[in-house]
Amino acid sequence: MPVSRLANVLLALGLAASVAPAALHAQLREVVSKSVSVGRSEASLALEFQGGDRLEIDFESGSVRIDDESVGAYDIGDPLDASWRSLLGQAVALDDGALAAALADWTVPAELTGSDAEVAGAIDQALERSLRGTQVQAQVGDASVSLGDPGSLLRLLLGDRETLRLLDDALDGLVEGGIERVVISEDAVVGADEVIEGNLIVIDGNARIEGEVEGDVVVVGGTLELLEGSSVSGDVRLADATLERNLGDVDGDVVNVEDGVQVDVDDDVRRELREEIRRELRDEMRDEGPAFLAPFRSLADGVGGVLGHLVSVLVLGLVGAAVIAFAGEKVDVIAETARRAPGRSAAVGMAGAILLLPAWIVGFVALVVSIVGIPVAIAWLPAFPIAACVAALVGYLAVARNAGEWMADSNLPWTHWIRKSNSLITMVGGLLGLSILFVVGHVVSIAPFLGFLNGLLMVAGIVITVVAIQIGFGAVIITRGGRRREYARYSADEAWEAAMNVDMGGVEDSAQPKEGGNA
Amino acid sequence: MRKGLITSLVVAAAVPTASAAQMRTVTMSRQLEDQEPVRVSVEYGAGRFGVRAMDTGLLYRMSLVYDEDRYEPVAEYSDHRLDVGVESIRNGFRGNSEGGRLDLELARGVPMDLDLEFGAVRADVDLGGLALTGLDLSTGASESIIDVSEPNETSMDLARFEVGAADFTARRLGNLNAERIEVDAGVGSLTLGLDGEWNRDTRLGIDMGLGALELRVPEGLGLQLRKDSFLTSLDSEGLVKRGEVYQSLNWDQAARKVIVDLDAAFGSVKVVWVRP
Repeated sequence: MPVSRLANVLLALGLAASVAPAALHAQLREVVSKSVSVGRSEASLALEFQGGDRLEIDFESGSVRIDDESVGAYDIGDPLDASWRSLLGQAVALDDGALAAALADWTVPAELTGSDAEVAGAIDQALERSLRGTQVQAQVGDASVSLGDPGSLLRLLLGDRETLRLLDDALDGLVEGGIERVVISEDAVVGADEVIEGNLIVIDGNARIEGEVEGDVVVVGGTLELLEGSSVSGDVRLADATLERNLGDVDGDVVNVEDGVQVDVDDDVRRELREEIRRELRDEMRDEGPAFLAPFRSLADGVGGVLGHLVSVLVLGLVGAAVIAFAGEKVDVIAETARRAPGRSAAVGMAGAILLLPAWIVGFVALVVSIVGIPVAIAWLPAFPIAACVAALVGYLAVARNAGEWMADSNLPWTHWIRKSNSLITMVGGLLGLSILFVVGHVVSIAPFLGFLNGLLMVAGIVITVVAIQIGFGAVIITRGGRRREYARYSADEAWEAAMNVDMGGVEDSAQPKEGGNA
Repeated sequence: MRKGLITSLVVAAAVPTASAAQMRTVTMSRQLEDQEPVRVSVEYGAGRFGVRAMDTGLLYRMSLVYDEDRYEPVAEYSDHRLDVGVESIRNGFRGNSEGGRLDLELARGVPMDLDLEFGAVRADVDLGGLALTGLDLSTGASESIIDVSEPNETSMDLARFEVGAADFTARRLGNLNAERIEVDAGVGSLTLGLDGEWNRDTRLGIDMGLGALELRVPEGLGLQLRKDSFLTSLDSEGLVKRGEVYQSLNWDQAARKVIVDLDAAFGSVKVVWVRP
């Protein structure tokens, strides 16, 4: 199992050296500066030694270079690349003597053959040469390394930078005293009579402790159970891990090593991707269904459109009922104004719509400048647009009521159910009338080859709706929200006319200005 | 069914790494040579940004995750001057750098003149434990939390914060041990915590454009506020006006005093008294 041997050697050296620098008897050159860069297509190491010498080893775009001189080639993910990246995986966590020791101890991995072995040999020589080739002894003690499977460590070192980062964080500040046991990708059990004389490190596995650990316990990516009678003389350090039971004694602290940001980022990207896939699936289902379903799709679209508008009318009717219930008189005034002066109302509505934005801004600035109005200014920002929308909605409902009255008087087919004596029914009738072109347009869209007619009906419907909103909004402005009865004063003659359906002979209430009159 | 679902999730989890930006991870460090003062300059454009002190015999250790298509790392050291961070390798629009991160650890106890400049970042900076002889922090559109969790081992004449459009929070400014602190804020929310250990009287100059300023003052600290503002409201709880200035009730008896010179255009200023 060459991979397993390599993994054990690298891990034992790397972890032991990272946590027990005092155990290193190194006479190596001091590494003053270190830079480890790992990307998808690059894995490089740059060292600066005491005295200013530098060493750079780059694996980049298929080429291996030592101090900018090509010494061979590699393929991403091949054994040479894997070995190099595993070394860098250790170098990230090491500094000073431990780093120098790990680099100097690196040898050509047994599984490399042919040109890969030659390139690795060149790297080994460069490292030895730069580090002056002095002997280093890493006291790894009695550390035992246990791997769940032979490739688990390599996968950890090569493919999971986040776990490496967590491991790095978890090992930061580990008590001195060496590693007693390292367990990777399998569960670790410390029996009731067992004593671990050192640190216990469990990576990608669960730990169950019934005995003693005379050091720290580090769990990366798993769970920890401290059973009754167990003890840990150092810290418990959890990285992406959970403490499921804590019935033992922990002399040190229980530390949760924070997750790296990369996890969050991956989650975000993953979420975005899922959303994108869903969107695309929805689009495909909508746009690229089987051809034989096309007539049914148009039928479904058309019926859906009709139902959608009917639901809109229903919702507006409910809103209208509330408006009539709470502000019926004001709606009367607005509706009457819109009926008597539709042109003026439309003009005022259009002007009002144009002036909405400037009024909003000017109002805010004025309130801020007044100093005392600063709190009001904060409320002004959302309140003004909301008020404008409410005004437009109430105005539209008032115009709808007028339209309903007109329909009731028109004797058009299917309008006999509209009763002018009931404001709500009149309003709903008017809402249906104002949206009738949309409904017809959707019905027409069911039939093939009538897309043009459908478009015309939709445009006409939009125009009618916009005009109705303009008139209604203008009427709301003119009547100051239904409080000013300039166009809606009570006329006994008109009431008589309406009630008796007779013409009084053109008698006009002089108090009531007509369209274009002096308002 | 369940197996298929798990397989789908695994595939979905794996695919984005292929479509994500070309992120590269760089870890850099340098041994501490001596205890001579160092000038440290850090530049970082967008992403997450963190600074803290460390005790490892290193001058600095930087862990950087960046988009290699957009940026390249910078780490230069010579003549006791250290420049670290990233610089853009593209002109024009820089865009955001989601996923980018810079974690910088600096040697504890080494006299240091620190210049931090970052743009659209989420910064979490803890200057506690550093021996700062000077501080110049400049941030753009960011969400920044600056903490001085431990007293500065040395002293500085001036600590300067330049804040653009940001949500900026500074805590335990007393630990900076600065003779003068200047805050130049453009637009945004500014929270300045005047807690920490005050070893001297200090002047705090605040120049604010548009925004909300909250001064969190520990009880016991003498505070004098001199306000020169245009349209700025002041919630001066716990302060009395004497002539042109506002003073805390304990001004005459306070062992340590902070004079705040406030120059603000639009916005609000609130003084909050907190337990030390």
